[in-house]
Order: sequence, then C-alpha cells, then structure tokens
Amino acid sequence: MTNRYKSVFDIIGPVMVGPSSSHTAGAVAIGRAGYKLFGGTPSKVTVHYYDSFAQTHRGHGTDYAIAAGILGFDSDDLRVPKAPEIARQRGVDLRFVEEDGPSPIGHPNTAILNMSNDKKKVELAGCSIGGGAIEIRKIVLHNTEIQPAGALPIIILVDPHKNIRIEQELTALLHEKAPFSRKRIFHTKNYNIYEYDVENYLHPDLLQELKKKFENIICL
Amino acid sequence: MYNHIKEIVAAAEKTHKPISELIIEQECQLSGLPREKVWQRMKYNLQTMRAAVKRGESGNGVFSKTGLTGGEAIKLKKYREKGHTLSGDTMMAAVENAIATNEVNAAMGVVCATPTAGSSGTLPGVLFLLEKRLQLSEEQMIRFLFTAGGFGMVIANNAEIAGATGGCQAEVGSASAMGAAAAVEVAGGSAEQSAQALSIAMSNLLGLVCDPIAGLVEVPCVKRNGIGAGNALIAADMALAGCTSVIPADECIEAMKKVGHQMPASLRETGIGGLAGTPTGQAIKAKIFGKDA
Repeated sequence: MTNRYKSVFDIIGPVMVGPSSSHTAGAVAIGRAGYKLFGGTPSKVTVHYYDSFAQTHRGHGTDYAIAAGILGFDSDDLRVPKAPEIARQRGVDLRFVEEDGPSPIGHPNTAILNMSNDKKKVELAGCSIGGGAIEIRKIVLHNTEIQPAGALPIIILVDPHKNIRIEQELTALLHEKAPFSRKRIFHTKNYNIYEYDVENYLHPDLLQELKKKFENIICL
Repeated sequence: MYNHIKEIVAAAEKTHKPISELIIEQECQLSGLPREKVWQRMKYNLQTMRAAVKRGESGNGVFSKTGLTGGEAIKLKKYREKGHTLSGDTMMAAVENAIATNEVNAAMGVVCATPTAGSSGTLPGVLFLLEKRLQLSEEQMIRFLFTAGGFGMVIANNAEIAGATGGCQAEVGSASAMGAAAAVEVAGGSAEQSAQALSIAMSNLLGLVCDPIAGLVEVPCVKRNGIGAGNALIAADMALAGCTSVIPADECIEAMKKVGHQMPASLRETGIGGLAGTPTGQAIKAKIFGKDA
C-alpha cells in the first residue's frame, strides 16, 4: 500500500493560519487542487460539503479556506481569512452547500468542487485526511471521470494531439525520476488523458522540467 | 520508509544513530532534497512554534473571535510566578506553552500543525519547557522535531491523525505520544525507551473523543493540549525510569485506529456529541451561529 503521509513535514507542518489543519489547511489544499486542475480561478464555484465538513465548516473556517485555495493562496497566507471577500471582489460566484447524505467518496471530511466558466466545467472531489494532508478521489475533466488512487501527488496530462509518443515520453521520465504506483489512459473524442499516481513528492527541479516539457501538465 | 515503530528502534540499535538522524536520512531520500534544505525547513517550523508560544504568553494574551478561549496562558504565567503550583513549575510551564499555542490557533493566528492544528500546542508545550529544563541547543530542538515527526508518520500511516476519523486520541493522543518519544531522546534515553514512552502516552489517552463546541477548535481543544503536554512528560519520565508498556507500540497504534473507527460519528468532530451536545454547548452554538444551526 502507498503511504498516505510521505514526508516528515506532513506531520511537523504545515505552517498555517488556524484553527484546523483538516478543516482549514486541508481545505486550502483542496481549493488549490481545484485551482490547479481548472488552470486558474473559475468564475463560478459551488462547494458541496459532506459529514464533518457539512457540520463544522462554519466553525472551522472551511469556507474561507476553500476560497483561498481557489484563488491560489497558500495555507500560511495571511489573506486566507479574507478570501471569500477577495473572491467576490474578483467576480467569482462562490456558493457553499451542506449535503445531508454520506460522502460519495467515503470520507467524513469531503468537499466536492463544481467549477466552471463560459468555456469549461471541471469537478473535483477531495477529502482532508488530517494534519493538512488531502486525497483527491474523483475528478471530472472534459466529461471524463477519473478516479485517482487518492494520495498526492497526482499527475494529469491532457493531450489534444492524441499522440501516444507524448505519453511514452512522460511515462519514461516518471519511471526514471518519480516512480508511480498506477498509470491510466482515457480516450475521449477530442483528447487523450493520462493520469499517474506518483509515490513520493515531486522534487522542485522535476516539477519545473515537467512544466517545461509538457504543455498544460497538471501536477496535484 | 519506516512503516513500524519496531523498525525505527531496530535501525537505531543497529546503526547506533539517534532516531532523529534516521528520520533526516529518510526525508532526504524520500524528497531528493539535500540535508541542508530539510534542516532549514524544520528550523523554520521551530521558529513558527516559538513565535506562537511567545505571542500567546505576551501582554494580555490572545483571544478568539468568539471569546470562548483566550488569556488563560497569561493566567497560568501569573499563577506560576507566585511559586505555589501543585504539580510543580516544570509541569505548569509545559501546560502554559501548550495553551498559549492553541489560543493563538483558535484566534486564527499562525501555527505549525504538529500533527494537526487542533493539537498544535502539545509538542511545543513539551519542547519549549525542555529547552529551559535541559538547556537544549537549537540543534537539539530541531532534532526533537525530526524524532517526533518520524514517529508521527508511523502513527499517521497506520492509524489516523484526524479527529473526524479517529477522535481526539488521534490528534492530541498522537501529539502526546510523539512528544513523549522525542522527549526521551533529548533526555538521553534509548530508542527502545522512546518507543515505550510513545506506547505509555498513547495508551493513556486512548478513547479520547473529539467533541468541539459549535464545531470550533476552542473548547475543549485548547485545554486538552495542556493535558497532552503533561501526559507526554509523565510518559517520558516513566519510560526513562525503566517502566515499560505491556502492549508494544505498534499494537497501541493499531488499537488507537480501531477505537477511532468504533467511535460514533457524533464523537468524531461533528460538534454533535460529548461536550458539544451538553445544554451549555448547544446554547453556545445557537448564540454563535443562530438557532437554525
């Protein structure tokens, strides 16, 4: 089994604005994953909360945390508590919904983000597993449902050229520098989507290399 | 990666290295980052913790927006100055540090989650007390955090560290166990004694529920960190005295996981059961969020 906590700094850290690592820092991380997956801040975001998130989001500041993540802020950014205001000033239509039923992804700290603008719709289902660490258990991108193993890092490449050599090149690079436990390929009408569940956190140099070599690569 | 406590102890005994060193080596290997970067990052976390303790213990203290918590680190500071504490100044200094940190957290200040924000006071509670008591150098304090973090990774990967999945035993319980194990190392104890301290500390807080009033990380979270710090010192002292846990560390962790999963959802960070469900707890919730909450 892949370990959910991959670094000593998952335990001693993150440095964050209180009050809750799972409901605040983890929520920032879920919002940030949405920001990265969408490729920027969407113009409309509806956040669906389940279980503990639905019951305690107001007390824990989960709303401003998710908003901060969607704006691309880090969990120790002092603007975190003001994020909903900042989002509204920037014209983001941001809504929060408390759902009654159980989490569709099977974790009490679940937030599902429905993100859109006039060009696209993206969905991300994340859960905050404790200490600021998160898992992404479902993604809907270009109408394709992807179910990653959960733990980060997750690498996604959308390939409009449907060129298998790009996939081979990425796979070879990851084999060498960032071992992954699973790879999946999705074929849609206009795109190929490649998804990798990577074992360890990505070295900053590798992250740069990936972004340079592969256009529109998403590293969650 | 070390997946079990017994692997950490065996490696420390075989290599004659302190546990902190093994965890630094593990981090360099997992992240691919040079030792200096890893060390600096932990140093930054230590500085964050120190700043939070200082803030909570300065002036009139720090108060949360709701007014439910705040100012009690200052009360403890003044009480200690009189010199008549029942459990001794050492113990109450640790409790003061812990409460100061969690008051800052409750006031939406900056803290370092160790392992969580709700339990962020426990480790600094122990650490900044030991800094004075054992005259720890900055290097020793950073090592304390690597040791605590290494044990914490095993707990997190084998059990839970979120109140929503494991109750408070997974948060303050884990923090206290990590603090006890790391305290043993800086006090000169063996790796085996660190594991014993972890077992004792975790066993003592087994079953602790997560029942925050109004779902806020304030009551009972702030004071529970004081208990987490005190429990860590007691467990560390017991292990250093040669006392042992009948149940091995890895089995204590497994037990914590199972107890957490057996807890009803009302006692896992939903703000429904326990102290949150009392008439006073419910009245506070209604006052803060309105009657329909």
